Amino acid sequence: MKRNNPKHAHQGCIALFERLSEYIDRELDPPTCRDIEAHIESCKPCQVCLETLKQTVDLCRHLQRQQVPETFSLKLREVIFDLVEKKPG
Amino acid sequence: MPNPSDPPKNNDNDAELIRSINDGRQELFFELVRRYEKSLYNFGLRMCGNPSDAEDMVQDTFLNVFRYLKGFRYETKFKNWLYRVATSACLKKKRRSKFAPERELSLDEFLPADESAVSKEVPSWASQPLTQVLDEELGGIIRNALLELPEKYRLVIVLRDVEGFSTQEAAEILDLTPSNIKVRLHRARLFLREALRTYYET
Repeated sequence: MKRNNPKHAHQGCIALFERLSEYIDRELDPPTCRDIEAHIESCKPCQVCLETLKQTVDLCRHLQRQQVPETFSLKLREVIFDLVEKKPG
Repeated sequence: MPNPSDPPKNNDNDAELIRSINDGRQELFFELVRRYEKSLYNFGLRMCGNPSDAEDMVQDTFLNVFRYLKGFRYETKFKNWLYRVATSACLKKKRRSKFAPERELSLDEFLPADESAVSKEVPSWASQPLTQVLDEELGGIIRNALLELPEKYRLVIVLRDVEGFSTQEAAEILDLTPSNIKVRLHRARLFLREALRTYYET
């Protein structure tokens, strides 16, 4: 397959690939961020990597939380009540 | 020995409550349960994969917290300490349950084999708003993919991306270096991304 941009050596993409999570988490210094942004701008495969990874992280962050089953919640309080009663303050 | 008159450190909203419990108002322990039972239960579900193990984990965690609360050092956030206890309870549980086999995830396994294998367009699942893509079915795909992750990666991604702890906090909870957390997190995310890609694109 013809490369869209011969300047984007595979090795460069791999180096970026390793740091995408840190980029998403804003854990990189500004110059490194700018390098990544410049690369992403002109490298479609890396842009796809970044966008799919970002969405993966967002989906994890928004997973729905379940309610604690009421029967367990009551049981837990009973167990703790027994402890509180037994243990001197 | 911490001085009870010291102001709470690390903006810890729980410190005052813990001091009161440790000063003898043990009935306030129920407030601690109220604050954290839902988070811990969901942490247990993500880590153990079933409600029964998650319940056991939550109960073991609160019992241990009750037992060792006097020893809590106020220089760390209570929530971080709580999750350290919970993680330990999860790991004990794991020894009695079936879990994904332990293995190393290498970065190489997530790299496209060659350029022709790389998508040239952002797929629709990654460009749509979360409200449109995150339904019950996709939630199930993510939960299952988390359970397929080897535990050391699952712990990190659950703490960082599901529970919302920072890199530094996750490092403190798991007794790892921040760079170790970052490496594991990135690989876990790539693993999950593959699961999503497979779900949508095959």
